[in-house]
Amino acid sequence: MSRNIEEWEKLEEEAREIRRREADWEFIESQNPKVRAALKFYIETGDLYVASRIADMSVEEFNDLRKRARIPNVC
Amino acid sequence: MSAEAFAIADTCFLIDWASWRHRDLLFELFKTVFVPESVIKEIRSERTVEWIANSLASGSLSLFTETPDVISLARDLVERSKLFPIRGLDLPEAICLAVGKMRNYTVITENRGALMAVDILEELSSVRVWRSLELITEGLRRGLMRGDPRVIFAEYEGDTGHRFPKRDLEVVLLELGGED
Repeated sequence: MSRNIEEWEKLEEEAREIRRREADWEFIESQNPKVRAALKFYIETGDLYVASRIADMSVEEFNDLRKRARIPNVC
Repeated sequence: MSAEAFAIADTCFLIDWASWRHRDLLFELFKTVFVPESVIKEIRSERTVEWIANSLASGSLSLFTETPDVISLARDLVERSKLFPIRGLDLPEAICLAVGKMRNYTVITENRGALMAVDILEELSSVRVWRSLELITEGLRRGLMRGDPRVIFAEYEGDTGHRFPKRDLEVVLLELGGED
């Protein structure tokens, strides 16, 4: 299923809304500044790799944190 | 959509997939799934390390060492992807796409940047990219898994903290008939 740029932009906004809505914001706000920033970056972008670099974690460690923060991986 | 012999998987996919109760379906769909060396560095938990190590030992997974030509193409793809007003590629998934293009492997990823890149970049239009959605669909279509597709996809979401896009899932469920 091939999509153009406008369709992808719409899908990205929908995914962002799902991540924002379902995230455990209390958990996120209780984290240290680096981890908190990384989780918020992930909510906005869905980019697990870069988020893990911001948090100074491996991708798997950050993915576990993502689950604890109840942020769905929308793809 | 038919399974080819070889695939290459990125970190985001493997880490998600490793949490799924039916994760060995992957090895019924492909003869070997290559894993870039960089992926190994991102895995820490005992459960995932054990699964990866056992799968490497059995030959179901194989280590893919990135060569200079692959890295060079991957860097070109990263730069090209940044020219568009959508999420670009990072080097790890660009390496998988470069291998997909150069070796005709199926690229397995959960990275939206990679999915967008094959739609937007002309040089990647021939590369086949599958997500867990397509892998599970293929497993059900070929009778490698049995059960109600709705339940199977829901189990995947529960096990991994994944969320399938609603419209894409509806299309797949319609095709599969909704129930076994």
